Amino acid sequence: MSEEVEVDPVTGEQTTGHEWNGIKELDTAVPRGILIFIIVTHLFAFGYWVLMPAFPIGWTYTKGLLGINQHEVVEQALVQLQDERASWTQKIDQLPFNEIQADQALMTNVRDSGRQLFGDNCAACHGQDARGRSNYPDLTDGDWLWGDGSPEAIAETLRVGINSGHAETRMAQMPAFGRDAILDRQQVRQAALYIYSLSHPDASTPENIDQIEGGRTVFADNCAGCHGENAQGDREAGIPNLTDQYWLYGGDLETIIETIHGGRAGHMPTWDERLTPTEMKTLALYVHDLGAGAP
Amino acid sequence: MISGLTRDERVQGLGLLAVVGAAGLVLAVAGRWDALGIHGLLIVLCCALLAGYVFFRLGDPEPTEERLSRYYDDPTKVGIALSMAWAIFGMFIGVWVASQLAWPDLTFGQAWSSLGRLRPSHTTGVIFGFGGNALIATSYHVVQRTSRARLAGHVSPWFVLLGFNLFCLLAVTGYSMGITQSKEYAEPEWYADIWLVVVWVTYFVLYLRTLARRKEPHIYVANWYYLAFIVVVAILHIFNNLAVPVSLGSSKSYTIWPGVQDAMVQWWYGHNAVAFFLTAGFLAMMYYYLPKRADRPIFSYRLSILSFWGITFFYMWAGSHHLHYTALPQWVQTLGMTFSIMLLVPSWASAGNALLTLRGAWHKVRDDATLRFMVVAAIFYGLSTFEGSFLAIRPVNSLSHYTDWTVGHVHAGALGWVAFITFGSIYTLVPSLWGRARMYSPALIEVHFWLALAGTLVYVFAMWNSGIIQGLMWRTYTESDTLAYTFVDTLVAMYPYYIARAFGGLLFLLGAIVGSFNIWMTVKRGPVAVEAGRDLPAAAVALTPGE
Amino acid sequence: MAELFHRKIERTAIGFVLAIIAAASVGGLVEIAPLFTIDDTVEDVADMRVYTPLELAGRDIYIREGCYACHSQMIRTLADEVDRYGPYSLAVESQYDHPMQWGSKRTGPDLARIGGKYSDVWHAMHMNNPRDVVPQSNMPGYPWLATTPLDISVLPAKLSAQRAVGVPYTDEMIANAARDAQGQATPDSDAAFEAMERYGEKTQVSAFDGITTQVTELDALIAYLQVLGQLTQAAYVDTAAPEAMPDEDPAGAPATQAEQ
Ligand code: HEC
Ligand code: HEC
Ligand code: HEC
Ligand code: HEM
Ligand code: HEM
Ligand SMILES: [Ca+2]
Ligand SMILES: [Ca+2]
Ligand SMILES: [Cu+2]
Repeated sequence: MSEEVEVDPVTGEQTTGHEWNGIKELDTAVPRGILIFIIVTHLFAFGYWVLMPAFPIGWTYTKGLLGINQHEVVEQALVQLQDERASWTQKIDQLPFNEIQADQALMTNVRDSGRQLFGDNCAACHGQDARGRSNYPDLTDGDWLWGDGSPEAIAETLRVGINSGHAETRMAQMPAFGRDAILDRQQVRQAALYIYSLSHPDASTPENIDQIEGGRTVFADNCAGCHGENAQGDREAGIPNLTDQYWLYGGDLETIIETIHGGRAGHMPTWDERLTPTEMKTLALYVHDLGAGAP
Repeated sequence: MISGLTRDERVQGLGLLAVVGAAGLVLAVAGRWDALGIHGLLIVLCCALLAGYVFFRLGDPEPTEERLSRYYDDPTKVGIALSMAWAIFGMFIGVWVASQLAWPDLTFGQAWSSLGRLRPSHTTGVIFGFGGNALIATSYHVVQRTSRARLAGHVSPWFVLLGFNLFCLLAVTGYSMGITQSKEYAEPEWYADIWLVVVWVTYFVLYLRTLARRKEPHIYVANWYYLAFIVVVAILHIFNNLAVPVSLGSSKSYTIWPGVQDAMVQWWYGHNAVAFFLTAGFLAMMYYYLPKRADRPIFSYRLSILSFWGITFFYMWAGSHHLHYTALPQWVQTLGMTFSIMLLVPSWASAGNALLTLRGAWHKVRDDATLRFMVVAAIFYGLSTFEGSFLAIRPVNSLSHYTDWTVGHVHAGALGWVAFITFGSIYTLVPSLWGRARMYSPALIEVHFWLALAGTLVYVFAMWNSGIIQGLMWRTYTESDTLAYTFVDTLVAMYPYYIARAFGGLLFLLGAIVGSFNIWMTVKRGPVAVEAGRDLPAAAVALTPGE
Repeated sequence: MAELFHRKIERTAIGFVLAIIAAASVGGLVEIAPLFTIDDTVEDVADMRVYTPLELAGRDIYIREGCYACHSQMIRTLADEVDRYGPYSLAVESQYDHPMQWGSKRTGPDLARIGGKYSDVWHAMHMNNPRDVVPQSNMPGYPWLATTPLDISVLPAKLSAQRAVGVPYTDEMIANAARDAQGQATPDSDAAFEAMERYGEKTQVSAFDGITTQVTELDALIAYLQVLGQLTQAAYVDTAAPEAMPDEDPAGAPATQAEQ
């Protein structure tokens, strides 16, 4: 081992005199830049510790001279945001729907904020374009299950949900006629054919006219109570119209049979606890705006 | 390999394999109703295969006493091979995971290949498999050279190396079966964790005993870092993994740490796994192979001291920067942030020390791709530590956290620093280890270098872009002071970057494959070194056999 | 001076190791130990409840599948996060979480308040193949969950292990864990009523995956997702989060950080 100190020709620095398998070290002093860097970062740290919550002391901790705490900071930020929004949200809160709809500036606000609210909360079921998909209603087609498609009706749906856990939930259940053995296979099929023929007049061919007539009876006995004599449904009770081209679960024969056999009870969550009244009102307007209301 | 071990040592090895195999059998029986049983069988199988290998070579010629006057490099050789194998495995999974994020159907509907199970296989494969094997292999090499003493034992180095690989194997096969503690970078379950403690304690003892034999009065800087790596990783591993198994026949356990305390312990571990596994260990490599390759003295011994103790002390405070604005009390976040900033000084001091060591050798950097690997590593080390300290500032973290920016930072460090320094070190080490004049093909080193550099840049730039864009989109407000974008909007904006990242990763993977081929060919038919044999320990002192 | 000293310790391996241990221990000690001694680290609330056995089983599946790789469960104290996801997360909400699932990456959205946001049917469809409901999603499908029966026989052992790490399950809960899991997934059964008696009125009993003849892993996972953010109302009370107030006052009006 060489304990001799040498001078490195390239840098002019001395070595430490140690050597490990050919590796030597220079005894270069710590560059001044590093020392300054240490001082600066430490000063910053000390300053920050004095001002902010920093060190634990037994059962508590130093709170910092500024008395800042992240919960208060975010709560203030939220209040501030609310204040900034207040210029239009207050009007949303206070004005009736028709006056808001008449106010173009307000509707711009509704469209601005409705898009994200809808996208992050509703689109998972109804799709970002609100056109729905099998089992989830299209909100743009002007065909409504509940109410007249007015913003008021939509807002109420949002607040209480459908078949949701809310105390005042809208409830709509289609019984499981097949599974619960209320009707036999033959009757289910007949009813389905009858329903199918309502929206597909050309389906009543001479071969199955008997079946359809049988279905008419089954319907009158079992379904008319809810869906009405002429199967046009009831928007007060969320009963779909079975004579039109709009289907929630699907209008082909297979699906209709499935519906009658197994029943249906779509679940629309309540937004009462998740969204503020303002947000729900905004959304109702936004949805109504998409579908241009009732046909 | 077996020719380096005496008959006694071979028998000792068989004994050890019998003990471990028996433990595996116990797990197999106790866990027969559980995935644990499969792991038990896997352990038995591994032990049986290895025992078979040793058993049929029990009678092979034995080494002479002369072996004690040479370094013991067989475990290093195997360690390098394992490291490269894990590199290809881990990076292949990385490319797969990256592709799944762009084309989710690449899961093929299988449970074992879904993203949540593959992702930890990637991180374990690259960090522990690739990085860990490289660290163990190089630490064996470096500690002998810088102590001018042979490893303190012949069986224990194998026990550590192979035991560690068994741990890695249990880890990745476990994830595919759904065995995980969900603690990032510490996912393996309780029995694998206990096994790693046994392996690691052996490693520590082996290392200390080898150092105790050194013929140099001073312990070289590289060994400071290897020691810190071994000691602190043990501490971190033990505390973070304290857990109560559901039963001794179940692979499942629950950590003893609840909620917020668990978060703190986990990121104290997670951050310092970065510090002492991905940083300290690789700094050790840098401190040996860089001056070796450049043939220059270390720029400043004093700077080495400053950065070593700075890193050892400050890093341990910084873990809470992973928990800014969360339910962790704010005072801890303050400490995490301020210590991360102070940490930049020792970090840059190490990077600077490395780069300044090259004074007088820059012309070599131009011509020698191996040295260039290490130079780029030092630069990326400086860059990613700067970025880390920057990300640790609360307001910056409010934007970056949860986004791909973190992933970009990770890979600037993991690819640019960890992988580059490893490749540079391995290219330096391999020829001398196998008695070759140089690597089989310098041109292929160039190819590897440029593939790796291009891959890293594409990867990191893609993630910086996607991360910052996503972070900004999440917090953009409209004119009406409400959020502008839905979550899905921000997801859609990520797809181009996910594709770019997969491409960058593919380049990097190709580089690693080229490198492995080059290493293989060097071993098989590299040009033989003229001066073989200069690489010897201090005046051959008779060491107690069997140690 | 300092340097001289350093030349001394770098001559002894043991001394060097001790110095490393000393230097490396401080940070962890100062930051972790006080989290157990400082009272307001975890808010004190009266209405915090434990996971039911079914929810716990679901949580274990969430862990097994590595959902934390893409989903956080930690809404930070930042206005945009509260605006998007709901009231920021409190420490007490993960008081019984061993381990926590706060996560570190949001490839998918935060799930801390996902409970009750969607219907069980939606979750079942989404878990089966996310792109059926969200075409742009890059989340993998988990179709095998719906067909894999849940192993309820291990639940008593799981609850005992949870108790060993500090979650207050009673002997009765442990003894009935399997039955309670079955009950929670079988509406109108006797077991369902018993489970509600043990875990409280708010326990969500449902057919989760839509089928009551068998308890599947999907039942458990959905039960867990539906309880996220619902274990306590503390986050909704008295924080300025404008998001929603529960319609009834939770028992014992939990005190929150803001009050203290
Ligand atoms: C108790 C009231 C009730 C009775 C009786 C009833 N329905 Fe319904 N039906 C509903 C409700 C409510 C829905 C909508 C379910 C939903 O929204 O999820 C519905 C939906 C349907 C649908 C699906 C419509 C679509 O858009 O996809 C069909 C088809 C249908 N009913 C047919 C019948 C037939 C046929 C019968 C008799 C055999 C019948 N219903 C009896 C309440 C009833
Ligand atoms: C978990 C899925 C789900 C989510 C999320 C959801 N909905 Fe619905 N929604 C439904 C289902 C299912 C129905 C139909 C219920 C039925 O079958 O009667 C429905 C019905 C409606 C209706 C009544 C349609 C009519 O024809 O009367 C409106 C309006 C509506 N949703 C708006 C929204 C809005 C706005 C949001 C977001 C705040 C939203 N929904 C979120 C599932 C959902
Ligand atoms: C590859 C990343 C990834 C993995 C792994 C993943 N998810 Fe997702 N998750 C997403 C993305 C992206 C979305 C948003 C799009 C969507 O709804 O599918 C999402 C959405 C969700 C949602 C709806 C959240 C909301 O508010 O709309 C739930 C619930 C969910 N995931 C649960 C899970 C569970 C449970 C697991 C594990 C079994 C899981 N995820 C695994 C990426 C992932
Ligand atoms: C001064 C040095 C460094 C500091 C202060 C630092 C700081 C940080 C910060 C603030 C984060 C983001 C945490 C978050 O928002 O979730 C992070 C993440 C990470 N960093 Fe660094 N970093 C440093 C160096 C490195 C290096 C050299 C590597 C080497 C690979 C590295 C690997 C990682 C990894 C793997 C993560 C991801 C952790 C996770 O899973 O979330 N860091 N680091
Ligand atoms: C071929 C090269 C690689 C590719 C394509 C790749 C790809 C990926 C991908 C896709 C992820 C998941 C990111 C996400 O969830 O969004 C990831 C995570 C990660 N990778 Fe890699 N990777 C590569 C190499 C490496 C290497 C060499 C290392 C370490 C030495 C590494 C360490 C990590 C770590 C620590 C994470 C976790 C990051 C976090 O949680 O924040 N990767 N990688
Ligand atoms: Ca573990
Ligand atoms: Ca992570
Ligand atoms: Cu960190």
